[in-house]
Amino acid sequence: MTVISRSWSRLTLPGKVIFTVIPILIALTAALVVVIVVLGQPILDALAANLPIVRFALAATIVLLMTIPTAFIVGYMELKGIAFMNLRIGPDRVGPYGTLMSVFHGLKMLMKEDFTPSGADPLVFTWAPVIVYLASVMTLLVIPFGPGLFGQDLNLGLLYFFAIGGLSVVGMLMAGWASFNKYSLLGGLRAAAQVISYEIPLTLSVVGLILLAGTMSLNQIVLNQSGWFTDWYVFRQPLGVVIFFIAATAEANRTPFDLTEADSEIVAGYATEYSGMRFGFFYFAEFVNVFIISALTVTLFFGGWNAPFPWPWPVTLSLDPGGLGIGLLLLVAIVPLLLTIVFAIPFWIASSRIKTWQALVAGFVLANLFLIGLVGAGAYIAFDWVAGVAWFLLKSYVFVFLLVWMRGTLPRVRVDQLMDFAWKWLLPASLLNLFVTAAAIVVVSQ
Amino acid sequence: MTTTSAPSDDPRIELDRDLGVFEPVPPYPPRTEREAEFYTLGDGQMFINVGPQHPSTHGVLRVVLKIDGEKVVDLDPVLGYLHRGVEKLCENADYHQAICYTDPLEYVSSLFTEWSPVIAFEKLMDVQVPRRAEYIRVLSSELNRIASHALFLGWMALDLGGLTPILWSFIERDEIVDMLAALTGQRMLFNYFRIGGVNGDLNHEFMSRLGDWMSRAAEQIEAGNGLLNENEIFVRRMRGLGTIDAKTALRMVMTGPNLRASGVPFDVRRAHPYSVFPELEFDIPTRSEGDCLARYLLRMDEIKQSLRIIDQCLHQMPDGPVMAKLPRLMRPRPGRAYAAIEGPRGQLSTYAISDGTDQPFRMRIHDPSFIHLQSVGLMMPGHLIADTMAVMASLDPIMGGVDK
Repeated sequence: MTVISRSWSRLTLPGKVIFTVIPILIALTAALVVVIVVLGQPILDALAANLPIVRFALAATIVLLMTIPTAFIVGYMELKGIAFMNLRIGPDRVGPYGTLMSVFHGLKMLMKEDFTPSGADPLVFTWAPVIVYLASVMTLLVIPFGPGLFGQDLNLGLLYFFAIGGLSVVGMLMAGWASFNKYSLLGGLRAAAQVISYEIPLTLSVVGLILLAGTMSLNQIVLNQSGWFTDWYVFRQPLGVVIFFIAATAEANRTPFDLTEADSEIVAGYATEYSGMRFGFFYFAEFVNVFIISALTVTLFFGGWNAPFPWPWPVTLSLDPGGLGIGLLLLVAIVPLLLTIVFAIPFWIASSRIKTWQALVAGFVLANLFLIGLVGAGAYIAFDWVAGVAWFLLKSYVFVFLLVWMRGTLPRVRVDQLMDFAWKWLLPASLLNLFVTAAAIVVVSQ
Repeated sequence: MTTTSAPSDDPRIELDRDLGVFEPVPPYPPRTEREAEFYTLGDGQMFINVGPQHPSTHGVLRVVLKIDGEKVVDLDPVLGYLHRGVEKLCENADYHQAICYTDPLEYVSSLFTEWSPVIAFEKLMDVQVPRRAEYIRVLSSELNRIASHALFLGWMALDLGGLTPILWSFIERDEIVDMLAALTGQRMLFNYFRIGGVNGDLNHEFMSRLGDWMSRAAEQIEAGNGLLNENEIFVRRMRGLGTIDAKTALRMVMTGPNLRASGVPFDVRRAHPYSVFPELEFDIPTRSEGDCLARYLLRMDEIKQSLRIIDQCLHQMPDGPVMAKLPRLMRPRPGRAYAAIEGPRGQLSTYAISDGTDQPFRMRIHDPSFIHLQSVGLMMPGHLIADTMAVMASLDPIMGGVDK
């Protein structure tokens, strides 16, 4: 007994918490298993009866989880892309080619002290990053990632997107005000002015597209663009896509419109006083925002998950592995071996200095790559959602790269220039776009 | 409520109610000079303290901005965070040792801060410098000028939010600094110039690096500038910003590129020639606008002229010794000497008084960065917070020189 109490007293506070929580978790897990075993069928029935709700909850969870790898990939692209433009090497220490850098950034933030300045309003200060993060993540719910792969197919999807996306300014203002720091205050007010100003051209630039599509459901807009790439709305709304992308860049506070966190002027803007994971949420939200504006640009103007060309011939893969009988076993056993040897032979022939085992290793690697490619191609043909997601992500990351490129190249605009640009150029241009589109629709329909 | 017996404007009484944290002006009379500034705040104005630890103040400059929204109403540079007492240190060292104290004044162009005391001491001692040494001085210092201007370009872009130019210009600077390291043995604080010459003759590594670099320098610098010169955002932000006309610039004792950008073709190398500059051919670029863009473009023109000078130096370099024959311990006659040179930031001059001992009795260093900072207050009012950084960057102050 004394041993236990002595060990207990030597534990730190987190240790004590963990030692208390782990048995509780184990007990809860066991209870859950029991409940599922005993009440399995009623639960399944209940779930099946409320399928839309289950689907929504699942989609929300998946979207929330999806932001983590997205932020990591975008963060890594930014680190490596800007390094490439700066003629640097960039991250190359953790993971192959530094790919785990963003993960370690995240871990670093988790381990940092979560600091609240003494003059701050703790409640507002704590909730501000949550609101900024949630505002950007919730917009992902309406984006169609593939045929049938969307959180919710709202009739007013686009309106929902702008409404929720505009909420992030509330979080920024909260952060700016609650931090009790003049830099933060300036950053928060800049964010408010900027985001609200650019909201107008952003929304107006897609009104022409809405007139063309006749719907505000993002899923329907994507379906309208199926077929050849000439059916994409970018060719019918060339001015609209330019205005939209510029305004969306400003909405996401990206260079050259990153005045809210202008490090050479107001240190870090509204995030100046933040540290630890609270800063991490801002950081996360920024990277997720980059992906979101790319994804929305792709969805609206570049065909979404549609391939740029329709598959020229209808393909149906009818694979019945059971029909092969014992042949399946032979296939699985023999084909990899055969492929390895086939791919090894060229290496073996090419140079007498390459030893046999080296050729075999190279053949093994190549055979694996070949098989992976084969499986991928098969999935691409067989499942339309695989093709859809592949095209969607490819197109989205092209725009993510464009944003990284802009960050590496452009300096920052000034506050008055920013406002001038929104009100004197983008707004008239988007009105012109709307007018021309509406007139064209009237002329064509008559 | 009990009333206090002391008069309410007594600065020593502590008010019994809590001070509201959001009140910009404390509800009691000012107790210090700094506190008194708060009483000058108008409606809706506030002070914001930029520096001494801030991403874009070029070291440890502290600027107190009085802002009205985004607009800068007034500006007060607070100096002294890097004060090391260099002049006093020099007065307690002998003439050779004094030179190395002046090195870290302008730490991105150390050869120039060495050069002006060296000339002053040579004047005190009536030393004749060998011509080869003079040519080497010109050659190495013009290289250093290019490095300094290249760094200026990068910092300027960084203060405007551009991430890339700083690293591109560091490539230029690294190449130059590496070849100067081959010549002098140091990358940053060279301590190369000596009274009566230079520390060592040109060597093979320096010459091969220099030849390699000279063959591509012009195009390389041009390519690096393209990122900014043709950038609409950059040009729009810099044009018409922090304008200062020739008359005001002269009144504020500006020199160097900042003065020439206002249209005054004053260059110490031509106006009061020293070393072998009379024998060299180069133009003095000037611009008439006097804004930040002019200051930036003028420095880029100066890089081209420096390349011309380096080219001529290499062709006209005579043979001979690089050091005059001098006694080890030098006691100049009592007297005073003044020497001015054209540094990358303007006129850098030294005034030295000798009392007949082996140490300077008094040494005064005139640094252009310090002089230029005083005109920030003239340029800024009416501009925005973001412009503060741009204007200060365009003046190119080095805090080592400002605080001495």
